[in-house]
Amino acid sequence: MASLKLQNIRKQYNKLEVLKGIDIEIEDGGFLVLVGPSGCGKSTLLNCIAGLEDISSGDIMIGEKSVVDLHPSQRDIAMVFQSYALYPNMNVEQNIAFGMEMRGIAKPEREAAIARVAETLQITELLKRKPSQLSGGQRQRVAMGRALVRDPQVFLFDEPLSNLDAKLRVDMRTEIKKLHQTMGTTIVYVTHDQIEALTLATKIAVLKFGELQQFGTPKQIYDQPNNLFVAEFMGSPSMNLMRARIIEAEGTLTAHVATGQGATLVLPLHGFEALNAHKGTEVILGLRPEAITDEASASGQDQSKVLLQSCQINVVEPAGSDTFVTTSLGGKEVIARLGADAVVSAGESMPLAFNMAKAVFFDPSSEQRIA
Amino acid sequence: MSQSNSSNPTAANRRVWLRALLYAVLLVFVVYYLLPLYVMLVNSFKPLEEIRGGNMLALPHIWTFEPWKAAWSSAQIGVQPTGLKPYFINSIMMVVPAVTLSTLLGAVNGYVLTKWQFPGHGLVFAMILLACFIPFQIVLIPMARVLGILGLAGSTPGLVLVHLVYGLGFTTLFFRNYYAAFPTELVRAAQMDGANFFQVFWRILLPSSGPIIVVTVIWQFTNIWNDFLFGASFADFDSIPMTVALNNLVNSSTGVKEYNVHFAGAVLAALPTLIVYVVSGRYFVRGLMAGAVKG
Amino acid sequence: MKSHLQAWLPRIVLAPSFLLILLFVYGFIAYTGYLSFSDSRMLPSYGLVGFANYERLFGLRHWKTALNNLWVFGLLYIGVCTVLGLFLAILLDQKIRGEGFIRPIYLYPMALSFIVTGTAWKWFLDPGIGLESIMHNWGWTSFDFDWIKNRNYAIYTVVIAAVWQSSGFVMAMFLAGLRGVDSEIIKAAQIDGAQSWRIYWRVIIPMMRPVFLSSFVVLAHLAIKAYDLVIALTGGGPGRATELPSTFMYSYTFTRNQMGVGASAAIIMLIMIFSIIVPYIYSELRSEKRS
Repeated sequence: MASLKLQNIRKQYNKLEVLKGIDIEIEDGGFLVLVGPSGCGKSTLLNCIAGLEDISSGDIMIGEKSVVDLHPSQRDIAMVFQSYALYPNMNVEQNIAFGMEMRGIAKPEREAAIARVAETLQITELLKRKPSQLSGGQRQRVAMGRALVRDPQVFLFDEPLSNLDAKLRVDMRTEIKKLHQTMGTTIVYVTHDQIEALTLATKIAVLKFGELQQFGTPKQIYDQPNNLFVAEFMGSPSMNLMRARIIEAEGTLTAHVATGQGATLVLPLHGFEALNAHKGTEVILGLRPEAITDEASASGQDQSKVLLQSCQINVVEPAGSDTFVTTSLGGKEVIARLGADAVVSAGESMPLAFNMAKAVFFDPSSEQRIA
Repeated sequence: MSQSNSSNPTAANRRVWLRALLYAVLLVFVVYYLLPLYVMLVNSFKPLEEIRGGNMLALPHIWTFEPWKAAWSSAQIGVQPTGLKPYFINSIMMVVPAVTLSTLLGAVNGYVLTKWQFPGHGLVFAMILLACFIPFQIVLIPMARVLGILGLAGSTPGLVLVHLVYGLGFTTLFFRNYYAAFPTELVRAAQMDGANFFQVFWRILLPSSGPIIVVTVIWQFTNIWNDFLFGASFADFDSIPMTVALNNLVNSSTGVKEYNVHFAGAVLAALPTLIVYVVSGRYFVRGLMAGAVKG
Repeated sequence: MKSHLQAWLPRIVLAPSFLLILLFVYGFIAYTGYLSFSDSRMLPSYGLVGFANYERLFGLRHWKTALNNLWVFGLLYIGVCTVLGLFLAILLDQKIRGEGFIRPIYLYPMALSFIVTGTAWKWFLDPGIGLESIMHNWGWTSFDFDWIKNRNYAIYTVVIAAVWQSSGFVMAMFLAGLRGVDSEIIKAAQIDGAQSWRIYWRVIIPMMRPVFLSSFVVLAHLAIKAYDLVIALTGGGPGRATELPSTFMYSYTFTRNQMGVGASAAIIMLIMIFSIIVPYIYSELRSEKRS
């Protein structure tokens, strides 16, 4: 086990720069998730850590040792691939043993290691089967077994769950988390699924166009997104973003948001000193759906920062555990998350509780968070 | 729709007739394609007089194996009455190493061009591919000189070299297209497992290459066995292949034309490729399709 | 350290093949190209004579015959193979019982050598013992079919034999294409009320465009290279009536000792083939890169 440090990683293909100076550090035993839309460079970054692709400049440290000049097999890492990459001509046992065979480990030792890993992953009865005879979930386990048997410093996962159906994906997610908790090995995990990122990670790195947008704990990423991109990308349904004007009235700052009915919603701002600099200007107000709710659901929140306001509901979408409704605010459809028992129908008005303790503000031109 | 058809007797009738016509047309073409083979076989079992005096399509009145014996071991070919046997052996001696080597090199080339791409790999592949299509007339003059310089003129190793070089384009194409669809992640996984360049090829790719090896071997075997131009240009007695010998047999101007021997010889020359076709026609067709760049 | 050998190994492994092709294909093309501008006769000679060989070549009656024959042969061969191949493929696509029996019969000629094909057809078309004599035997005494011996018609016998050999292959290509058509498209056309022949004509055949293109490329390059078949079937005769550029090049270079003229004929053949193949390969590799 070891920490992993990426220092100013750059990578170019011809003229095209796909990684633009990435700095990330993850502690020993940490679970780092690289997340972003396709083409953001997350898989390239993972391949660079693995040594499957060369970097143009920068340094990669595993423990205290730079591994940039090492062959993938010498970096003391193991990788689980998106397609599992099981060798089709070998059975499960041979697949798991192949790496040890290449490193010249003696047969009895190999067999002991295989038995140990097979038991951990409950694949002992599959050892003699060919990959083509396995289900998706079983292949996933074997791929993990092949990685586990190496007992590496760092595990790399390249979108390992994306080929599984929805139910199995949730099960395997839990299992990976359990595995991490029991083994405590450092993990780097690539996904485009922000829910996977939030549930698994101890640290998340959000990437876009080869640039690191934000690096932090899941809570930091979720509650204090650095910019509009992170705010919209993380969380589902995504954060509501609406145009608001900052106006000082009778000594207190307020945010004015136009409602769909031509009225103005006036939201008091307590503890947003940074917005003093934006008085009179238009900013973007971000509120997660769960920060706009019905009166009953808002009862547990800090009442001094909650404002009740009647809004016209356009669409009602019951989702079992919650009910989502939309209303027009700041020229956009805004989603509010109500309790499952909320009684409302489309076209009616109802009072919505705005929890300003959770509000964030962005500069519309730079798209960076200002408060 | 089908119900309205069956309740309408004229439409149903028409369909039956159309179906019958369809099978009739298909059958006519079966006859067309089989006719030359039939003619060759039937007449190779007839005495010569029966061919000259009788009907080529008729079955033999008197069955005889003499034409086959003559074609195999005693017919006059060029100046020597050796039959086709020594040339059959020449062809085997030429085909086996040429097919083996070109397939092996093609496999490695395909592996490099898909899994170890380097700057300019596209151009290299395009140049190898283009080599498949050159008219071989353009290499005859320099090839004759180079074979002379290498001391391989008129020899079987010389012909092996020629067929190896001009087969590389197709074998590389086959393996490249096959390996292009082979998941690169497997290669990466094997690299992470510590396998080197040759181990990845030998342990991971080759064991999964069965189908394309069969296609390539069949394609190369058929093409090299059936070649005439190179054999006619670069071979002498010790290396003349079957096709050239057959042509010499048929077109030798001396004496009476022994049609029955010619037909027996033609079937002998066709036999190896026909057997391959009958045994593994599916792969043969796949090879043809792949030869059409993509098909 | 990653060893330098490992990094260069792939290129080292590819190098022998590439060098062989570089020398034996492109080097030889350059050499033949040079000879076509030289005064070579029986042996290669390196005195340059400009375009004299090409001027002589295009002044030769035999070369004009050869080009003319290639034109007639190529056009008919490609045309008939394509139409016949498509026709048979459509017939076979009608859920035919015994397709597994019929298909290999249509295709087997492709496995034969052109020399074998030539021999078989040579005697089958021979008026003395072949088709004409068969018809006479059956009592149709006025039947007259001596094309193979007739200067004006001999080239068509080459077409007959070549079509016999290749049309099954074209059929297989079209059949594969037809089987690849999305059945939902056909269902949609049926729901639109189209008759089956109209579905083929308006919907399916237009979708066969790539097959038309690849079969054209394959057939065109086979036509220009055709050599063995002519040698076995007619030997270029009667007279020089079935001469093609390929046989012309061979006889001028090796039996008439006009190497310079032979080389220029080979270069013309190369230009003809490449003008068809190069754009095709270029577009194929392009579309591969895009997808």
